[in-house]
Amino acid sequence: MTFESLSDPVDVLTAFVDGRIQPLRFRWQGRVVRVRRVTGEWNRREGSTLLRYFSIESHAADSYELCYDPRGPRWILSRAWGAKK
Amino acid sequence: MSRAPVNRRILLVDMDAFFASVEQAHHPHLKGQPVIVCGDPSRRGVVTAASYEARPSGVHAGMPLQEARRLCPNAHYVEGDPEKYVAISLALLNLYLSITPDVEPFSVDEAFLSLQGRHGTRAAALAIAADLKQRIRERFGLTASIGIGPNKLIAKMGAGLAKPDGLTDLDEQAFREVFWPLEAQSMWGVGPQLATRLHALGIATVSDLAHAPREALEAAFGIIGPQLREAAWGKDDTPLVPYHQGIEAKSMGHEVTLPEDCEEPAFLEGTLLRLSDQVGRRLRGEGYVGRTVAVKLRDHRFVTRIRQRVLPEFTADHRMIFDTVRALWREHWSGGPLRLLGVTVSSLAKVSGAGQTELFTPDTRAGRLREAMDRVRDKLGEASLVPAGTLTHRRRLGHVPFGPVSGRGRLRNPEP
Repeated sequence: MTFESLSDPVDVLTAFVDGRIQPLRFRWQGRVVRVRRVTGEWNRREGSTLLRYFSIESHAADSYELCYDPRGPRWILSRAWGAKK
Repeated sequence: MSRAPVNRRILLVDMDAFFASVEQAHHPHLKGQPVIVCGDPSRRGVVTAASYEARPSGVHAGMPLQEARRLCPNAHYVEGDPEKYVAISLALLNLYLSITPDVEPFSVDEAFLSLQGRHGTRAAALAIAADLKQRIRERFGLTASIGIGPNKLIAKMGAGLAKPDGLTDLDEQAFREVFWPLEAQSMWGVGPQLATRLHALGIATVSDLAHAPREALEAAFGIIGPQLREAAWGKDDTPLVPYHQGIEAKSMGHEVTLPEDCEEPAFLEGTLLRLSDQVGRRLRGEGYVGRTVAVKLRDHRFVTRIRQRVLPEFTADHRMIFDTVRALWREHWSGGPLRLLGVTVSSLAKVSGAGQTELFTPDTRAGRLREAMDRVRDKLGEASLVPAGTLTHRRRLGHVPFGPVSGRGRLRNPEP
């Protein structure tokens, strides 16, 4: 599997449940990637902004890292494993 | 009337191959595979962490990436994300604090916990440690090795006995049974150099150290000689410094392995400026000033030189740090290719309360500019404003592992 470090803006179908953000699926390079499960969550501060990061495993068993930036708000795909450009 | 002995047990929680395990937990296809965490895998650098699956190949932290690739060509080379590891370390710390307020973070992947009263019995401590391991596994998908003992020394050394995913409980007697037959170097704090000096005195094992004449140890090693002897008996009265009391920093520094050996003065100077800027910013952010400035130069043959200078006054100003570093570098650089550069400020003093602002920002143009720059970076992030002298350097470097440019730079809006 190949590893890519990215900073691609992506459209993410998102659920807000009990004050938590949950990415459900996103569109990247013309494909829809469905989130099978969130495998990790963490935050990072950039100045006064709190960025929310999610490691996710897709239904196709690929692995990604998504970042939710509330300044947009927008989502950035920051890492991908397994998917070919 | 004698008081009843106070029940007290110390736990050392040591996360197993922390950085590599986080990547395996977050990316399930890496589970059971050799994983090597490093800087940008497409550039050279050193191994930051190796998973347990990679270790039988001989790969270890600090090894040049080139050598790791030779030893373990089939490993997954993953670019590390230090801010992620720190964030998870803080989440772990919060978990520990839900068990006891007496938690001392020892490193990004280790922490001491003190259990007292009814929780400080052996049975209670064992049950708490087992439960903690379970909670770490469920919440983070990670394993930890925990050592339990009557003091920090035994807890720390016990945790290393059964890794990964171990749980070891020792009292002083059990400590001696386990460690006395082992090499003196197995003692916490005894490195290869000290072990060689001990050997010269005829001290090969921990038992030898425990039975060595106190006077001989003091004559050879000064004050630490008798302390080493006590440690070999499992004695340690080092206090646990709880997180909420804070820990005073002794030095602050940053270093970077260059993408290729470099002998271009402008590039090297730009790198030193960036490192000085990072150190100054961190000093100011954490409320410190320092007086000793050091530069670290490692050449292409891995020969490392550290040169330092004591300043006439304390500072947290990156210009003053950089001017000193540049002078040291010009004085001691032979002109040959360099592999690594580092900047450290030590002899630190905490600045608190009244006068802090004045110390950091004397009422000069430079001081006011620095204060304004700090405010902008506090609001917009580190990459929002950088010294112009570092720009050429940044474009060429592209990526600096564990520096503030890498992750933050990627997240900036790509649109103009």
